[in-house]
Amino acid sequence: MVTLTINGKLVEADEGEMLLAVIRRQQIDVPALCHHDAVEPYGACRLCTVEITKSDWNGWKNYVTSCLYPAEDGLIVSTHTPEVIELRRTVLDLMLARSPRARLIRDMAAEYGIMRTSYQEVVDGDDCILCGLCTRVCDEMGFHAISSVNRGHGKEIAPPLWQPPPDCVGCLSCAQVCPTGFITYTDKGTTRTIWDRKFELLTCEQTGLPTVTREFAEFLSAHREIPKEYFQLSDRAHRKELAGTMGKISQWGREE
Amino acid sequence: MEARLVVTPTLCIGCRTCELACSFTHAVDGKLGLSRIYPLDGGFKELWVPVTCLQCEDPACAKSCLVNAITRNPETGAMVLDDDRCVRCLACVAACPFGCSLHDGQNGIIVKCDLCGGDPVCAHFCPTKALEFSPMESVKRQSA
Repeated sequence: MVTLTINGKLVEADEGEMLLAVIRRQQIDVPALCHHDAVEPYGACRLCTVEITKSDWNGWKNYVTSCLYPAEDGLIVSTHTPEVIELRRTVLDLMLARSPRARLIRDMAAEYGIMRTSYQEVVDGDDCILCGLCTRVCDEMGFHAISSVNRGHGKEIAPPLWQPPPDCVGCLSCAQVCPTGFITYTDKGTTRTIWDRKFELLTCEQTGLPTVTREFAEFLSAHREIPKEYFQLSDRAHRKELAGTMGKISQWGREE
Repeated sequence: MEARLVVTPTLCIGCRTCELACSFTHAVDGKLGLSRIYPLDGGFKELWVPVTCLQCEDPACAKSCLVNAITRNPETGAMVLDDDRCVRCLACVAACPFGCSLHDGQNGIIVKCDLCGGDPVCAHFCPTKALEFSPMESVKRQSA
């Protein structure tokens, strides 16, 4: 256990725990877009920047991304000093120049008093802020279907060679974690389309409800030892089956 | 203290008070949560079975989770889903053979019974004691 000061309050944290987790546990609102507990911290969005100092630093301060900075004994953290707010404003201003139509970015920028970007808007800017959360989650799950390609202005998230990704299983995790909702997919009947690849959704034998894609079910059976039969029914049909079985058991010895 | 949520279908009258209690307890930002417990038709006359997570010894939900968001709480023995880790891939919903990992569409999250952190609210509200949270010793005595 280490003891540090956050906004003037003494708090305890585990050694090596990242500052963002400690700050959020104190119910302090520090924005972050590229952070997700399922993956390692990355420090791409720079929004969780905080000011740190120590009593023996002779008044020197440092500005660090709290998602990547481990808690230390005697650290003095400030999350909302004028300098930190100015830093966050600049980051949001730049994001707004890149993604002027992204709802979330616009709302967050408005919260920091930016109604329109002071920079030149990117021509054909899209809603992707290149936080890399989608690719990191995909890698963490073991698919490696998408990745960031090119550098600088041309950087984007794409499947290999901009073709339908062969390693994708259509689990939609990338779309679900995308903070700005840039990754889109369509579910039409039993066909799911994401990254221009079409997937067939398995349907429940009893209710006809779509469940997961055939590829995802096969992956889970092969690598996670989930029996294939489990995917034949939807959760609703499974519950009904359980109720029927438990009902029968509860009647044991009552028929006579 | 080790305890189990004991379900006695023959006592259930299908009033669905447990569903209400569950929905209210697990409300998110003022919106009702999806109930984690369902009294369903047991297949016999006036027989209801409250179906909820069985907290399996070898759970398919945790095995199917590719980001390890579902882990056992050592204190309550419940399999708990960490929503901050969850990436909503629906693997657990499809993999659970009892259909007790659920997709709460209104709140856009995956939910499952976590025994309310060691004090299931549904058991408090059950009028007929069809749901009871009892210590392991008395559970063993009953089943023996």
